[in-house]
Amino acid sequence: MFAYTIRRVLAIIPLVVAVATITFLLMNAVEGGPFDSDRPLSEATRKNLEKKYGLDDPFAVRYVKYIWNLAHGDLGVSLTNDREVRTIITERMQVSIQLGLATFLFATTVGLTLGSLAALNQNGAGDYAGVFVATAGAALPSFVLAPILQIIFSVKLGWFTVLASDYGFTQWFRGDFSNWQQIILPTLSLGFLSMAFVARITRAAMLEVLRQDYIRTAWAKGMRQRQVLLRHAAKNALIPVLTILGPIFAGLVVGSFIVETAFGIPGVGQLFVRSVLIRDYEVIMGVTVFFTVVIAVMNLVVDLLYAVVDPRIRL
Amino acid sequence: MAQAAAEPYDFTKQTMHTKERGLWGQAFQRLARNRLALASGIVLVVIAVLAVLSELGTPVQHHDPAVPDFQSIKSGPSSTYWLGTDGLGRDLWARLMQGTLFSLKLGVFTQLFVLVIGISVGMGAALGGKRGDGVLMWFTDLAYAFPDLLAIILMRQVLFGRGWPIVGDGNPQIPGFGGVFLVTVIAIGLVAWVTVARLVRGQMLQIKQQDYVLAAQATGASPWRVVRYHMLPNTLSAIIVATTFGIPLAIFAEAALSFIGLGVPPPDASLGSLIGSGQGNIQTNSIELIWPAAMVAILMLCFTFLGDGLRDALDPRTRK
Repeated sequence: MFAYTIRRVLAIIPLVVAVATITFLLMNAVEGGPFDSDRPLSEATRKNLEKKYGLDDPFAVRYVKYIWNLAHGDLGVSLTNDREVRTIITERMQVSIQLGLATFLFATTVGLTLGSLAALNQNGAGDYAGVFVATAGAALPSFVLAPILQIIFSVKLGWFTVLASDYGFTQWFRGDFSNWQQIILPTLSLGFLSMAFVARITRAAMLEVLRQDYIRTAWAKGMRQRQVLLRHAAKNALIPVLTILGPIFAGLVVGSFIVETAFGIPGVGQLFVRSVLIRDYEVIMGVTVFFTVVIAVMNLVVDLLYAVVDPRIRL
Repeated sequence: MAQAAAEPYDFTKQTMHTKERGLWGQAFQRLARNRLALASGIVLVVIAVLAVLSELGTPVQHHDPAVPDFQSIKSGPSSTYWLGTDGLGRDLWARLMQGTLFSLKLGVFTQLFVLVIGISVGMGAALGGKRGDGVLMWFTDLAYAFPDLLAIILMRQVLFGRGWPIVGDGNPQIPGFGGVFLVTVIAIGLVAWVTVARLVRGQMLQIKQQDYVLAAQATGASPWRVVRYHMLPNTLSAIIVATTFGIPLAIFAEAALSFIGLGVPPPDASLGSLIGSGQGNIQTNSIELIWPAAMVAILMLCFTFLGDGLRDALDPRTRK
């Protein structure tokens, strides 16, 4: 398992280089740049700006420089506010990680509970309720759910603010949780789709497991319900659920573009969308590489978790 | 009195014959028995017809989606404006139909584009030996590490705002399929083809091992004939199901892009840009947001149910 982990970690390196190269090529093929605005800059100003950021070097030089810097963990400097991309991402990540963790917890706990309940009451009222929620989840992507939740809970009921104002998310890192309400609607809209997905998979997996002989044996031995369900059934039903955690992480990353924009949350997703709008290529490339690493690591973690949960899998 | 002899049964009469049904006839029959899938299909057709009729003008549309009526800004639903008006006094029904048509058209054409690339690459990988296979698998791995929407945004950024004819801002343009539309189709298609290619490859590799392919080869069928008449038709049901699920995914991707401001610029409208502009007015005119949001939800549900129904109808393993 140790050798496998090392191999997988090393495999991330060529992946990151490939992604960085593709992104670099794509960004070089883009029409227009960050210095284009409604008021055209003078030729001299533009030349100076390009010189400052090294944009006047030949393509090959810039590429080698970029990869070289990347190898040292340097993602470059933002073309619009002169700050290091790495610093900006670290700052924004503190916000995104809170939303991501909250969403992940919501999606897995609620999804697992709903899915299991549905499986245990197969064809009962609980089952239909679970299936209904799972189906509704598929029909309510975050960009539909976010504004609807805002209308119901912020505009009509007035329970929450429409936008996550006052940088509530950033204060939590300093231990100030007075703005705790701000995370609720974003978590719901970001997590509903994943929650429905988890519930669907859990239901199917539980139904499959409950039919197995060893569950009947466990009942026959006279074990208590809690032990049968938790120790024998749930543990085995978790394995198929693990397989979808990778796609769910990717979904959270992509969903953060939408949800952070919809609620005005200053996270990495919003940073990416803004950078695309103002064509800050250094930030776009930096965030892309960053997300690639995050997703690759998450996929690795999920694969390692298989081996932990299922002793039959040897790595 | 002569007893009339029992008349022998006339087997030439067609009373015993049941109607003959082919593969597709059977599949359709199974689909029609699935009421949810059938209803979804009908709803989708109705929505598509309404959207197309709106584009043509009367009688389902009384107002031009682009013309503002400053006398009735943010008015609620009325007999003149069925669904109300937006912040500029534009008819929400007309805007909704415009956005729906754009999104549906986008979903369908993206899938056509995806099918062409996906089937050719998938077939190439399955039949073209190791090297082609290696390239495809590399792409697949890359796509697995790269979130879809992120890749689509980067693609769109590269293709957008060019002066190219047909797929750019330049002339000539194809009427009804503007440069913005085609660029979005290409950007999503260039990312989404990997799924179909993988599917086709998997199916083809499996079918290649089947006895009927061996039999066809043994009778001297040319490789082209084997692929065209024996292998391709057998991948068709999987492709149809994948396409049905792919259309809402493309609609979803475009709507998400438009919602965050990276989609179609005005005066064009998609369901996503309608939701996006509706969100700006949720405090004062929340109805503006509810219609396109409901439309997205309906489309997603219908395509999901239809896809499920098609999968059950076309998958021979679930056949009783």
